[in-house]
Amino acid sequence: MSMTNVSRRSFIGLAAAGMAAASLGFGVEAPQIALADGEQKLVVSLSSSPSKLDPIHYSGTYESQIIGQVTDRLIEYNDALDTFEPSLATEWTVSDDGVTYVFKIRQGVKFQNGQYVKGRELTAEDVAFSLNRSHQYSDNNRLAMLNVAEVTGDYEVTCTLEGPNASFLTAITDAGNSIVAKEEVDGWGDSFGIHLTGTGAFTLEEFNLDENAILKANPDYFLGKPNIDTLEIVFISDPTQAANKVVAGEVDIATDLMGEAIETVRNSSTAEIWETQALQINYIRFNMRHEAMQDVRVRKAMIEAVDFDAVRSALYQYNDAVAAYLPLPYGSWGYDAQYEELFPGYDPADAMELMKEAGWEKGFDITIYVSNTEERRTLATLLMSYWSVLNINATVNSSEWGTFSDTVCSGNAPVYAMSWSWYPDPYFFLNKLFSSDETSAIGNGAGYVKPEVDDLLTKAFETTDQEVRKAYYGEVIKIVMEDCAGIYYANPTKFYGVNPRVKDFYQRTDGTLRFITPERNTYVE
Amino acid sequence: MLKTILRRVLQIIPTLLIVVTFTFILTRMIPGNPAATILGPQASAEDIAKMEIKLGLDKPIWEQYFDYIFAVLQGDFGTSYMYNQPVTDLIASRIPNTLQITLVGLLIALVIGVCIGIYSALHQYSAGDYIFMVLALVGVSMPIFWMGLMLVKFFSVDMGLLPVSGRGDANDIIDVMRHMVLPCFCLSTIPMATFARITRSSMLESIHSDSIKALRARGIKERSVVWKHALKNALPPIVTVLGLQIAGCFTGAILTESIFAWPGMGTMIVNAITNRDYMLIQGVVLFFAIVFMIVNLIVDIVYLIINPRVNYEGGGK
Repeated sequence: MSMTNVSRRSFIGLAAAGMAAASLGFGVEAPQIALADGEQKLVVSLSSSPSKLDPIHYSGTYESQIIGQVTDRLIEYNDALDTFEPSLATEWTVSDDGVTYVFKIRQGVKFQNGQYVKGRELTAEDVAFSLNRSHQYSDNNRLAMLNVAEVTGDYEVTCTLEGPNASFLTAITDAGNSIVAKEEVDGWGDSFGIHLTGTGAFTLEEFNLDENAILKANPDYFLGKPNIDTLEIVFISDPTQAANKVVAGEVDIATDLMGEAIETVRNSSTAEIWETQALQINYIRFNMRHEAMQDVRVRKAMIEAVDFDAVRSALYQYNDAVAAYLPLPYGSWGYDAQYEELFPGYDPADAMELMKEAGWEKGFDITIYVSNTEERRTLATLLMSYWSVLNINATVNSSEWGTFSDTVCSGNAPVYAMSWSWYPDPYFFLNKLFSSDETSAIGNGAGYVKPEVDDLLTKAFETTDQEVRKAYYGEVIKIVMEDCAGIYYANPTKFYGVNPRVKDFYQRTDGTLRFITPERNTYVE
Repeated sequence: MLKTILRRVLQIIPTLLIVVTFTFILTRMIPGNPAATILGPQASAEDIAKMEIKLGLDKPIWEQYFDYIFAVLQGDFGTSYMYNQPVTDLIASRIPNTLQITLVGLLIALVIGVCIGIYSALHQYSAGDYIFMVLALVGVSMPIFWMGLMLVKFFSVDMGLLPVSGRGDANDIIDVMRHMVLPCFCLSTIPMATFARITRSSMLESIHSDSIKALRARGIKERSVVWKHALKNALPPIVTVLGLQIAGCFTGAILTESIFAWPGMGTMIVNAITNRDYMLIQGVVLFFAIVFMIVNLIVDIVYLIINPRVNYEGGGK
């Protein structure tokens, strides 16, 4: 017998036997979905894996995506993010002083059939318990403005704030302020997150860390039974693989596509690209403590020296961002285009003149701090090049998020580039980025302090009238733009790869996945 | 032999202590605050301070170290900051997933690699030998992530033959095996190429030795000469490489698991490092250290069995 024959048989036989034996031997539990005929299944991919699903402990948006399906809040933003719509609260009133909020709780809402709650009806006590729990124990202090939530009627809860704070209604739309049942929280203790139970549209059947979450439609949901019977949320960190999955038909909605993954889906015949402007701004901040950059003329010169059209062309080759000018995303109701003209245009000659006027014509040395992403590193390199015209000798420090945030929070980053994303309420951008209370946090690590701005920010959050608030925030934007406190250069676009069989789904600007609302109920064809 | 094994086992204890200490120091030296990383960019300084107390990071470093050592001695690897679960539970839940692809990948690599090596040695300087050795060179040189994505593009997206990623349904063995094909093949390429090359060189040395020539001269069947005698003589370097490749497969699994969304140790350690999850990093490194030491011990024991002339205590027999 020749060697060739022996080898061939060895290859096939041993390899097949090995594969089968090992597969059987290590056949660990993988999730399985049993679908009856006609049942609808939707598979959605997230770019990061959730780890903690207890509302008071979650920290990432990907975690809130699952919490949001299993639980409800008192109120929700509508799809356009310009109005609050009722959810577990059917109506609400605010006292004239803006301190007391009274919520009427929806009757007949049932909890899911959790181990302890056993599908009982939602009560005002559950609402008060959940809000007070968040206020006291939330890792991110998501209800810092609340003093106490009290039951004031059979289906009525009154929330008293520490002081007037117009961001309260926005805050209670957060998944961290979801309504849960006390007996489930007490019963499960630290493992409540793994057994999350609420009143939401879907029940959490399985949660496999770094792999997937399997949810089933809640037949008793107060808005009616979702059309989707099984919702599988899979976690795929590599956007290229997420795109491959949606193109291959293994995933119906692939979120957070970027780079070449966008083109993969765009060029495919089996999936579509959906896009929307994110509630996010990408920006560069100047540290106000820096000797040279204390001077507004220097800051303005550093803006005028950079051709941001060229920068955006270099950074966003997949059209994954549009030009921005102000420290608010376009999706925020506080955005006012009239202030866009305050953004200094590209004018290197004037920039050099300004440096001369400020006495810094010989330039200075600075370090640009960025987190370790390709986009930020490229941006920093481009800034180095543009600022060299002003004799500014810049170096780049690129590090992981933890290191970067530490440096910025401690005020040690002379110039840094990052992005900011939160709710559509301007409070969550302007207060965090420009309030003097935030100078030791990453929002205002640049140390921007201006009593006039603090005063306007305070007035804006003590008022509940949205138009009045918008006017105050407009004044804040005007001041910080005139101060050249930073460069707000891009509003990123969020891309989803979507299988055309998905119907009645809406890509929200805030990235929140909602499959059933008063207006729509997602289904697959 | 027993004395040697006992000595090697005892050597593991101080080595593990050094590993634990170094890991503890190195994780603390990584810039970045775990509390800030966990809470995200919107956290206030007050929230971060509260989280530090909750995680025990407000204590002096030496106190954290001795607390950790004391807990480890009791078998408690701590609680993951990120997952809020015991590290031992997390490792126990992930290790079967990683073994599932690493062992199959290694098995494929070993079987095919050794067979190719034998073929090449027996057909030295033939067209087949050249082709296999060039392929082996390519296999060693090709980045796993690139090859993984190319395989997915061809077999999953274009041909629709295999799933893109995931683990499949555990109750459907065919589905599980279909999901394993690409990650296992990816993991097997580098060790397969290494096995092929080491087997070829070792076999060449063996078949050209006087003892094999003597066997042939005595008219022993070629099949018996190759498989029974030459291969046995060529085994020690292959076993050594096998031990090294087990370590290599675990390293390769980090990338492979990320590409194929395979929830094993690789994805967990990447997340742990990104999130500065000290407890999880320490626990996983300690676990890997234990695994590697056990593998090395087994390799040494196998070495003693297949080649009794080997003496770890110095001097020859």
